[in-house]
Amino acid sequence: MKTLLDLYLVFFKIGVCSFGGLSMIPVINEEMVRHGWMTLEEVADIIAFAEMTPGPLGINAATFAGMRAAGISGAVAANLGVMSLALTLCLAAAIFLARLRGNPYLERFTYGIRPVCIGVMLATCITMLPNYQNAAGAVAPGAVLIGAAALFLLVKRKWSIPKVMLVAAALGLVLGG
Amino acid sequence: MVEEGKRTLPKWADMSLVMLKIGLFTFGGGWSIVAQMQKEFVEKRGWLGEEELLDIVAIGRSFPGIMVVNTAVMLGYRIGGVGCAFLCAFGMAFPAFVVMAAVTTCYTAVRDNPWVARAMVGVRAVVVPIILSACLGMRKSAVRDRVGLGIAVLAFLGLLAGISNLYIIFLGGFVGLAVQTLLASRQAQPGQGEEKGGGEG
Repeated sequence: MKTLLDLYLVFFKIGVCSFGGLSMIPVINEEMVRHGWMTLEEVADIIAFAEMTPGPLGINAATFAGMRAAGISGAVAANLGVMSLALTLCLAAAIFLARLRGNPYLERFTYGIRPVCIGVMLATCITMLPNYQNAAGAVAPGAVLIGAAALFLLVKRKWSIPKVMLVAAALGLVLGG
Repeated sequence: MVEEGKRTLPKWADMSLVMLKIGLFTFGGGWSIVAQMQKEFVEKRGWLGEEELLDIVAIGRSFPGIMVVNTAVMLGYRIGGVGCAFLCAFGMAFPAFVVMAAVTTCYTAVRDNPWVARAMVGVRAVVVPIILSACLGMRKSAVRDRVGLGIAVLAFLGLLAGISNLYIIFLGGFVGLAVQTLLASRQAQPGQGEEKGGGEG
């Protein structure tokens, strides 16, 4: 029961802290590792799966973490947590829609939030660098090579994420370990 | 009647089915889902105007949480009231929930297989590039001036220094609010509004 409540509260917090798309990753990383629900590796895995399956990252992450921590009921608790804010705050916003339309304060607030998202996302990339090490803690050249190739394909060649993932998985079979 | 069977479903049922469909078939989240909503609710059914949808999306994005769930809730309320808002949110989330529950079960079962482990080394290596390319994509709209750059750098250092995301994010929001409000009030009066000190983050 305590785990369910923890899952609900942590995912509520994740919902509160995320503003669009991948900006959720830093908070998920922080909370999952802190609670011991996922290792750094598993956080990377869940992001990869979320990008390959339908639906938003928040729902995918809540389901994965909830299931691993406490089975299906854990997944339900985590999903309710991550959606609670939408079901209250956004419902209220819909009711008062006319008054919020073009509100300058809302825009000024997001003006500050957007750069923060970039900053914490880049910082999270740094904390994820152990994914490029092998079990002994030395740099894994195979993983580094795959990462560099993926960055090139995503940014320069504009490949879709699932396609890059497939190539990376195949390369991992050859170079990984 | 002749038209029977065509659209006899009540609005709330029709709407939650469409949300289920959008949740199931739309990969990549965000804007591709909004495009689907536009097609289903504005073009096909004419339940709300284009501009109204854009307003809802704009507010859904600037509120915390999952953007598409935010949008689904507001859209549901607008079309069918509070109950419909809940149905839409759950309908949107349900397919992802089921698929991910299945994936998690498989993952737990096969992750220790040596071949799977090797493939996962490759997959994992793609996550940092995904985040980096997302940062590159939003760079221009997110960091619009030197204040924005300052906020981004301080947020970066703050997280590495171990400050919690919760504090960094809301501090950033309030700094943005303060800076922009100050600039707006300065512009209303005669004088220059260009110079400003670095944001404290």
